[in-house]
Amino acid sequence: MAAFALRRLLGAIPLLLGIATIIFFVLNLAPGDPASLYFNPNVPPEVIEQVRRNLGLDQPVHVRYVRWLGAFFTGDWGQSFAQGRPVADILMEALPNTLILTGTALVLVFLFGIIAGVWQAVRQHSWSDRTLSIGALFFYSMPSFWLGLMLMLVFSLKAHEWGWPIALPPTGITSVEYEFMGAGEKIQDRIAHLILPVATLTLVLSAGIARYTRGQMLEVIRQDYIRTARAKGLPERRVILKHALRNSLLPVITLLGLYLPFLFSGAVFVEVIFSWPGMGRIIVDSIMQRDYPLVMATSFVFAVMVVLGNLVADLLYAIVDPRIGYET
Amino acid sequence: MRGRAGQLRRPIVSTLFLLAAACGGDGGGAGGDGATIVAGIRTDFSGFNPVTNTSQYTDEVIKYGLFTPLVQYDENLNVVPWLAESWQEEGDTAVTFTLREDVTWHDGRPVTAEDVKFTYDLAKDSATASLIGSVYLDEVASAEVIDPRTIRFVFTRPHAQALEDFWWAPVPRHLLQDVSPAELANAPFNRQPVGSGPYRFVEWQSNQRLVLEPNPDFPAALGGPPPARRLVFRIVPEPATLLTELITGGVHVDIDVQPDQAAQVEQNAQTVLQSFPGRTVYYLGWNNQREPFTDPAVRQALTLAINRQEIVDALLSGYGEVAAGPVPPWSPLYPQEVQPLPYEPQRARQLLQQAGWSDSNGDGVLDKGGQPLSFTLMTSDRPLNRSVVEVVQEQLRDVGVAAEIRVLEFQTMLGLHKERDFDAVFSNWVLDNFQMAAAPNALFHSRFAEAEGSANRSGVADPQLDRLIEQASATTDPDQARVIWAQFYQRLGELQPFTFMFWLEELAATRAALEGVEMDQRGELMSMPDWRLQ
Repeated sequence: MAAFALRRLLGAIPLLLGIATIIFFVLNLAPGDPASLYFNPNVPPEVIEQVRRNLGLDQPVHVRYVRWLGAFFTGDWGQSFAQGRPVADILMEALPNTLILTGTALVLVFLFGIIAGVWQAVRQHSWSDRTLSIGALFFYSMPSFWLGLMLMLVFSLKAHEWGWPIALPPTGITSVEYEFMGAGEKIQDRIAHLILPVATLTLVLSAGIARYTRGQMLEVIRQDYIRTARAKGLPERRVILKHALRNSLLPVITLLGLYLPFLFSGAVFVEVIFSWPGMGRIIVDSIMQRDYPLVMATSFVFAVMVVLGNLVADLLYAIVDPRIGYET
Repeated sequence: MRGRAGQLRRPIVSTLFLLAAACGGDGGGAGGDGATIVAGIRTDFSGFNPVTNTSQYTDEVIKYGLFTPLVQYDENLNVVPWLAESWQEEGDTAVTFTLREDVTWHDGRPVTAEDVKFTYDLAKDSATASLIGSVYLDEVASAEVIDPRTIRFVFTRPHAQALEDFWWAPVPRHLLQDVSPAELANAPFNRQPVGSGPYRFVEWQSNQRLVLEPNPDFPAALGGPPPARRLVFRIVPEPATLLTELITGGVHVDIDVQPDQAAQVEQNAQTVLQSFPGRTVYYLGWNNQREPFTDPAVRQALTLAINRQEIVDALLSGYGEVAAGPVPPWSPLYPQEVQPLPYEPQRARQLLQQAGWSDSNGDGVLDKGGQPLSFTLMTSDRPLNRSVVEVVQEQLRDVGVAAEIRVLEFQTMLGLHKERDFDAVFSNWVLDNFQMAAAPNALFHSRFAEAEGSANRSGVADPQLDRLIEQASATTDPDQARVIWAQFYQRLGELQPFTFMFWLEELAATRAALEGVEMDQRGELMSMPDWRLQ
C-alpha cells in the first residue's frame, strides 16, 4: 500500500504542474492588470510603469512563467501585489481556518449522510424515509449562499429579535472579546461561530451522500448473503451495520474524492457570507485584484488538497474492501 | 436504530444549552465599561503607510486615526491647522509651516520637520508610486527644513486651493529611512505602523479585524485621547451579513449600507441611519472619437432622453442627486446657479431629427445614411450598474436609440475603457480630495485625449474646456473660481462629453448607543476619535 501511495504521489506531480501552468496562463491572458490597483487615474503613466516594474510585470508572459515556476518549486511563493507581504504568510494565516471549516463539514457530511441514508434504506417507504427524501432533495437543490443567508436570518437575526435563548453569532471566527475569555469560554465561542457556516455546507452536501447511501443500501439488502446472515439468526442491527453497510460504503467512499471540489467551492461562498477568514475569501479577492502570486498559490493549494483527497479515497477502498489490494 | 438516534439527540441539546451562555451576549464591550467600539467594513485594509496607500478606508484610518496630517478640514471644508499649528504664505509662491511641539510618534519620539521632509521626498520619488506625490504634490516644487519645527515648501506656480496640497500625514523617518523607495509598499512597517494620531495600532489580522487603542499622549488641543477603550474594525464582506451584525449588536457601525437597506435601518429603534452627500459621481461616458458620439447634438439629445431623477428615485431609493458635472454641488467652489440638463425626450427627438437622424426603415431605431443609431453600452457587473444600464436602455429606446448592454467583470471593463475600445460606458469617478480642478483636468483636458492609460478615456478635446480648466486650477481667488466654474459648466452643458448621472448619497448606520458620530464628505471615519458608547 505504501508503494501504491508513493506511486500515486509521484504521479500527482505532473498533474499539479499541468494545473499550475494552465492557471498561470489563463490568469495572465485574462484582461485586467494588477497595476490597476493604482487605477486612480491621476497617477501619471510613468508612475504606473514604475509599479509594473516593481511587480515584475514589465517582462513578457513566458519569462514571468519560467521565473515564477522556478521560484515556486523552490519554495519562494513571492509577494502578494495587493498586500505587500509574502504569499506564504497569507496562506499560513488562512489555511488553518479553511481546514477547520471544511474538515468539520466533511466529517459531518459523511456522518449525517450515511446515517440518514441507512435509516431511510432500513425503513424504505416509511414516512420518515419520505420526509428525509424530500428534505434531502430540498437541501441538495439549494444554493449554499442562499441557505447560509437564511440560516443566519433565522438563527442570528430573528433569534435575536424574538429573544430566543440562543442567538448564534452571524459572522467571524471568534468574538471581539475572544482574547479576554477563559479557556472554556474560548472553546464555546469558537464552536458557536462554527455552527452556521458548517451547517450550511453540511446540509447542502450531506443530502447527496444520503441519497447515494440509501440507494446502495437498498441494493445490498436484497443480496443473498444478507438473507443468509438474517437466516443464521444474526441480530438485525448487526446485519445492517456490519454486513450491509460495509459493502454499501465502497461506492460512497468514491464520493469523497468527487466531493472535495464541491466542498471547497462551497467554502468560497460560505466564507464570504460568514466572513470566515479563510482561503476562499483570499481567492475571491485576489482574482478581483489580479493579485497573480496569491491566486496561483491559493489555487495550487486547493488543487493539492483535491489530489490528496482522491488519494485518501483510494486508500480507504482497501480498508473497507479486503478484496482490493495495492500490492502490484 | 431508534434507540441510537435517541441517544444522539441528548448530547446535541446539551451542547446547545452550553452555547447559550457563549452567544447570549450582545457583542461589543470587552470589559465592564463596555467601551470597546466595533465598526464593520466590507473590504480589508491595505498597508497603513500614508505614502503608498491607495485605498479609501485605509486612507481615512491613516488621516483620522493613526497619523496626523499637516492640515485638516473643518465642516465647511476650510483648511485648518493640525500637525502644523500655523503657516505663513509668501504670496502664491511658497508656504512655511510651523509644526506643533506636542505631537509624538507612538514610540515616544517627537514628530519633526525632518519627518515631513522625508515623507515629501518619498512621495515625490516615482519609485514609491505614491498618490500623495501625484495627487497632492504635483504643484509643489521643493521642500526645505528651516529648523526642527519649521518647513518651507515652494510651489511650481500659483494655483487654486494651494494649502490643500498638504492634507497628508508624515511617516517616521527613524523607522523607514533604511527601506528602499521601491520596497516601501512591502515594508513590514505597513502592517505594524507606528503613527502619531489619536489611536495607536494594536493588532491587524487579515480579513478579520484591526484593533486600535487610544494614544494617551495625543495633544488635548487636537482633541486628546479618544474616549473608547478600544476601537475594533471587523471585516465583513457581504452587505446583508454586515447589517445583521449591526442589528444584533455585533458591530456598532456599519460603514457601507446599501440604498435598499436604508428603510430597515430607519425602522429599527436601536439603529441610526447616517447619510451624507458623497464624493462619487456616476456618468455615461460617450466615446467622443467614435460615431455617432462625435456630434455634440447627439450627445446632448442622449442626456435629454435619460430621466436621471427617476433612476435616483427607483434604484437608489432617492439617495442621490442628479449630477451636471465633476464638481460636486457641496463644494464651496460650486456655482450654485448651475442646473443639470432636464429630462425632455421631446426635445431629444427634435435634436436628433435636426442632426439628420430619422427612422427611414420603420424598425423603431433612428438611422442616418443607412447606419442605425445604435451602440454598445458597457458596464461592470456590480448590481447597481447592471440595473442602471437596463433603465437607460429602456429610456433611450423611447427616442429611437438602440443601446446594446454589455456587462463585464470590473477589471475587464476597465481594460477596454482605458484602451478606449468602447462606444459608451456607465462608470463612476471618486474624488480623491477636495481640489476641484483635479477631476475636470483628468477627465476632460485635451492633452490627455490621446495619452495612453489616461483618464480622458472618452477622448474629449475642446480648446474652450481646456482654457477654463486651466484658469480654474490657476486662480487663487474663490469668487473668481466660481465664475470660471460656472462658465465651465455652461460649456459642459453644450458639449455633453459625458452624461453625468448622479452623485451618490453615502449611507452608513450606527447603533443608537454610539455617540459622537459625525459623517460627511470628509468620510465615514472622520469622527472616529470622538466615538464613545453610552
